[in-house]
Amino acid sequence: MATMTPQRDAKFAAKLALAYGEILDGIRPALQRVSLRLSGDGGTLELRNTATNTTEIWQLDGLRLVPDQARTDALVLAHQGSGDARLILRDHEAIRALLAACPNLPDLGSGRGSLGKLLALGTAAVASIALILFVLIPYMADRGTDLIPPEAEVAFGRTTFESLSETMEFRECKSLEGDAALAQMQARITDGLDLAWPLQIRVIDNPAINAFALPGGQVAIYRGLIDAAETPEEVAAVLAHEIGHVVNRDGTRSMIRSMGSFGIVGLLFGDAVGMSAAAGVSQRLISSAHSREAEIAADAFAHRQLTRAGLPPSAMGDMFARMQAQGLGEDMGVFRHISSHPELRDRIEAAMQADTGAANGAPVISSAGWAALQAICI
Amino acid sequence: MSTVKTDFGGDRGDLFALMLRTSFLTVITLGIYRFWRLTKLRRWYWSSIRPGGIPLEYTGTPQEKLMGFFVAVIVLALYISLFNLAGLFVAFNMADNDISYMTYAIGAAPLALVPVIFAARYRARRYILSRSTWLGIRFGMDPGAWGYAWRACMYWLLAILSLGLLWPLMTFQMERYLTDRSYYGTAKFRQHGNPFMLYPLAIPFYVLGAAIVGVLVLIAGETDEATIGWYIILIVVLSVLLVLSGFYFRIASLRAMAGLKELGDGMEFGIEPRTGKLLRIHIFGNLISGFLISFVSPVILGLVVGFLYLIGRVDAGAITNPPPNLAAFLGALTWLTVFILYGVFRQVFVTYPTVRHVAATLELEEPAVLQGIRQRDVDRNREAGGFAEALDVGAAF
Repeated sequence: MATMTPQRDAKFAAKLALAYGEILDGIRPALQRVSLRLSGDGGTLELRNTATNTTEIWQLDGLRLVPDQARTDALVLAHQGSGDARLILRDHEAIRALLAACPNLPDLGSGRGSLGKLLALGTAAVASIALILFVLIPYMADRGTDLIPPEAEVAFGRTTFESLSETMEFRECKSLEGDAALAQMQARITDGLDLAWPLQIRVIDNPAINAFALPGGQVAIYRGLIDAAETPEEVAAVLAHEIGHVVNRDGTRSMIRSMGSFGIVGLLFGDAVGMSAAAGVSQRLISSAHSREAEIAADAFAHRQLTRAGLPPSAMGDMFARMQAQGLGEDMGVFRHISSHPELRDRIEAAMQADTGAANGAPVISSAGWAALQAICI
Repeated sequence: MSTVKTDFGGDRGDLFALMLRTSFLTVITLGIYRFWRLTKLRRWYWSSIRPGGIPLEYTGTPQEKLMGFFVAVIVLALYISLFNLAGLFVAFNMADNDISYMTYAIGAAPLALVPVIFAARYRARRYILSRSTWLGIRFGMDPGAWGYAWRACMYWLLAILSLGLLWPLMTFQMERYLTDRSYYGTAKFRQHGNPFMLYPLAIPFYVLGAAIVGVLVLIAGETDEATIGWYIILIVVLSVLLVLSGFYFRIASLRAMAGLKELGDGMEFGIEPRTGKLLRIHIFGNLISGFLISFVSPVILGLVVGFLYLIGRVDAGAITNPPPNLAAFLGALTWLTVFILYGVFRQVFVTYPTVRHVAATLELEEPAVLQGIRQRDVDRNREAGGFAEALDVGAAF
């Protein structure tokens, strides 16, 4: 106690000499009366048990305040090195004297548990969750997708499409020539593919520029996409992309992923702060991170397949670039899962680079077929 | 033969200040501070409960809670993801083209958490006891979380299958399991009595339940619309009484079982909370909290908008027709104040008077038994209530 002046020291000693406290020795459940006396050079507190006449010495700088006590009429003190023992002071004079002598009495447990260790463990916890969400669950989804019987997946896809169709009020477009053109396009781009189930490609009467693939070979193209395309090759490129999702079983995989990670992010937040919303946002971020990979893989599939069929992969790049130039925003369906412009540019660039100029010039469908496809919803 | 009585010495204003400060910090630290809040609240409540004039002390630390929580999150994340995926594959392979099976199987995956929740509760209790002292002596509990979990699952199943007839059996058996594994220092707690002693306390509940079923049967056989109207009113009244009788059973069974606990060789207890008093606390406490929140939250909102107006950040037009970013800011502010303050008010007007009432009725008989009791070793269990915290099945504080 280097900060104590001799005068205060003496006053403190004088006051405390008259003071009594109660001690819990942390061995027996009994309150024992002690008389308090300052001793040594003023750096120690002598606790003399009035019943047993034994004396204990506590260092003043080893004193710790037991914090957050509801009662302010008593001071509860612990001492480093005295284990579970507690000193209870009720005498106001003695409390005041002690607090004056030790103005910066530290709280019990304030220095416990190093920050470094906590940070390390916290980082480990967040890292393990990230590992589970981004490595383990995707891995199991990849493996697990192969364990699912194709018939179950086809049934699942059909049911999903039916319920989607009901809620979105889809109207399926059909015409003899249009269907024939679509079948011809499908045959050209799936040439040489061995699919586990038949593709079911539909055109939906909806002005949005969109297309999607569901598990079990269910593919849908919106009328808006056909309207926005300048050539049938552009439609074929989007179709090839969606077939890529089917071949990669992305619909099933992403379902397994989202089911697998259900409820995990919520663990971190608890409901202590009503952070369910934060949990929801994180969940969305995770699924969009997963689907970006899937989009790139489906693009790569499309490039390969189009090249093999003698069609230009650059058609996809042309279409995207034109829509970007027209200022059709990211809210357009085709751009879903794409969160920034650089990624769209990357996709356009990849499509252009994949074009080796090997296209044989034969159109994917005849101009009559293209006209029929454009008119399929009329 | 003497009786040790308990007084409760916490001040409501202090609790309000503590709760407000720590709740605010909890929100702005995205929940990390909640371990510090929990620790401070427990220290405060423990120190206000004073059997024989000597306060209890809570010795748990926020750091160990945070550590336990991190470990629990890692383990649970693995467990949940494995069960989710397993449920999905079983569903897909069983579904066999019928998709409705799959919905059930996927919906059933969270059931895997039920035993974990029971185990987490046991562990949380063990942690709290091991960090509680009175007269400088620690409480403690034997390990036994999984034994508790599977028993709890079985008794719950029995209670549900028997339409509630085995509910008192479950109540007693689970309480005995917990009590018989608890210690104060070197002395062991024991729960005396048997499940049948709880049945008389459940009679009002059963009679009302049977009456409701009876009225439902009458409704099914009735064609006169006016009579059906009267029956429905009767059902509403009976349902309210049913809830009250369930409340009564909980408190009365707590009283009955506390009176038959023994510590060491002959120390006995009494806890005599009054059902009516606790009911009043819950009804009025929640009403007051709701009333205050509907009053205080608009005032805070008004003050903030007024301040923004004064410093010129918003003009009069923006108040009647706010731009999106201002509307979003005010929405978030409202949500935060309501969220923080509602928790604070409920703590001060419901939890506080409940604890105060229950604590003040605690009595210890034959304190001479204490003379034979000695300190027990520190329970080094690292779990620190982490699973209960991650699963959000912890206690009120």
